[in-house]
Amino acid sequence: MEIEEKQAEVIDHFVKQVSAQKGSALGSVFVEATSHPSLFAFSEILAVPTVAELEGTDNSVHLEMLRLFAHGTWSDYKRNSGKFPQLVPDQVLKLKQLTVLTLAETKKVLSYDQLMRELDVTNVRELEDFLINDCMYAGLVRGKLDQLQRYFEVQFAAGRDLRPGQLGSMIQTLSNWLATSDNLLVTIQDKIKWADTMSELDKKHRKELEDRVMEVKKAVSVKEGWSCEREFFNSSKNA
Amino acid sequence: MASSSSSGLTFKLHPLVIVNISDHYTRVKSQLNLPPSLTSTSSAATSNNNNNNSNGGENNQQKPPRVYGCVIGVQRGRTVEIFNSFELIYDPSTRSLDRSFLEKKQELYKKVFPHFYVLGWYSTGSDAQESDMHFHKALMDINESPLYVLLNPAINPAQKDLPVTIYESELHVIDGVPQLIFVRSSYTIETVEAERISVDHVAHLKPSGGSAATQLAAQLTGIHSAIKMLNSRIRVVHQYLVGMQKGDIPCESSLLRQVSSLLRRLPAIESEKFQDDLLMEYKDTLLITYLAMFTNCSSTMNELVDKFNTAYDRHSRRGGRTAFI
Repeated sequence: MEIEEKQAEVIDHFVKQVSAQKGSALGSVFVEATSHPSLFAFSEILAVPTVAELEGTDNSVHLEMLRLFAHGTWSDYKRNSGKFPQLVPDQVLKLKQLTVLTLAETKKVLSYDQLMRELDVTNVRELEDFLINDCMYAGLVRGKLDQLQRYFEVQFAAGRDLRPGQLGSMIQTLSNWLATSDNLLVTIQDKIKWADTMSELDKKHRKELEDRVMEVKKAVSVKEGWSCEREFFNSSKNA
Repeated sequence: MASSSSSGLTFKLHPLVIVNISDHYTRVKSQLNLPPSLTSTSSAATSNNNNNNSNGGENNQQKPPRVYGCVIGVQRGRTVEIFNSFELIYDPSTRSLDRSFLEKKQELYKKVFPHFYVLGWYSTGSDAQESDMHFHKALMDINESPLYVLLNPAINPAQKDLPVTIYESELHVIDGVPQLIFVRSSYTIETVEAERISVDHVAHLKPSGGSAATQLAAQLTGIHSAIKMLNSRIRVVHQYLVGMQKGDIPCESSLLRQVSSLLRRLPAIESEKFQDDLLMEYKDTLLITYLAMFTNCSSTMNELVDKFNTAYDRHSRRGGRTAFI
């Protein structure tokens, strides 16, 4: 997918930067990373050991902020804005884009009202502009906007970083998909066999009909021979 | 002889070329009319190529014939696109190439396709051989660096990709002597719409004029194989994820992200609107079938009544010379 390819270089760049520095300097790197317009994946940066060291120190707010960007939404930020450092406008935009992705995770059809609530947007025009310019043109989501029914139908949404528990549910979904397609395959095979059997039966039926018609034809022609002769007898007798 | 190429050219092969080569080979092989072998054990070996002279005494030539020809196409920058091919007369024992034939063919093709150039040559066999180099060098006066397309006619059911390889020639210094050797290059298959239709047609070869049931079976078989392929690919992803969960495979976040976005597209068709549309179309189809059946029945009934009236018509024309059955 194109977003992953676009992000790969940026991710490498930031991972190198993060592993090179330590402590409070990482804070500024995080701010840079989260405001970067094409970076939407933060789990690689989170995996670097120097980042994990930040846990529990004074700079843990930066770590929390990075985690927010990796897994959280705009409403999380609003609810606990005390825990996080102030966000620059670029980061606000980024967080809102990630929020749309999270919403697209659960439902395929997102209503405008819900979107407006989650993104703190007041009118439809602004919402649509945001969706079109910042989400679709960036390649994050693909879908249809239905203004009359006020729905946004998501056809494709880029993936966010995985929470630790999500791997299990993904495996479950995959196994369900596999089971369904296996059943479907068996059903199709049965249908094929059914179609073949029905065509066999049909052919047999037709053949039987033809045979009976032939028999009746033969019987009729024999009988006709007899009755014609009788006709001649009678007429010759009469005449 | 076949290391990988380093010339940086990308090759695009059209399916017409492959069909041409295999057609040429099949024609020559069937025209040679290989005599049936006399011993029962070698009847299976007859279909195998590569010097299976199991009847030492008989003159059964088990080695399949090699066919030769030219490939033509366009070269734009670093992309070489092979569009078409034609046959050539070449005698490997005397190593003589019929030049006049080649030139005449080239002229004819040039008139129809002015942009196509001779890009190289083709042959059949299982591997590139030393003797092929002579043909290669012979063509080098037409094209400085010709391509060698090799088709392996042995049918290997386990093989998944096409038995076609493209070789280029490179000048390597071996033992102090600069020599031309063949190096393998990768290629992609490129199709034009018309080619796609014909390839699709060949892929769906079924008994022609089949009744509705066999057509249905063919269509269902197509869907079946498509879903089977999807199934196997999903299985691979599933096993990969399970391995990642167990820890056998290191976690790769970008892949996980892609998988999660893929899974987000499921369930693909569960909405109410879909059910409504499906039911409506289903009912429409059933209605039409019912109507057609009605019409059929009523016309058959009509015919039957007519026949009955003609046959058992006693009320008009009594006592005439009508045949009583």
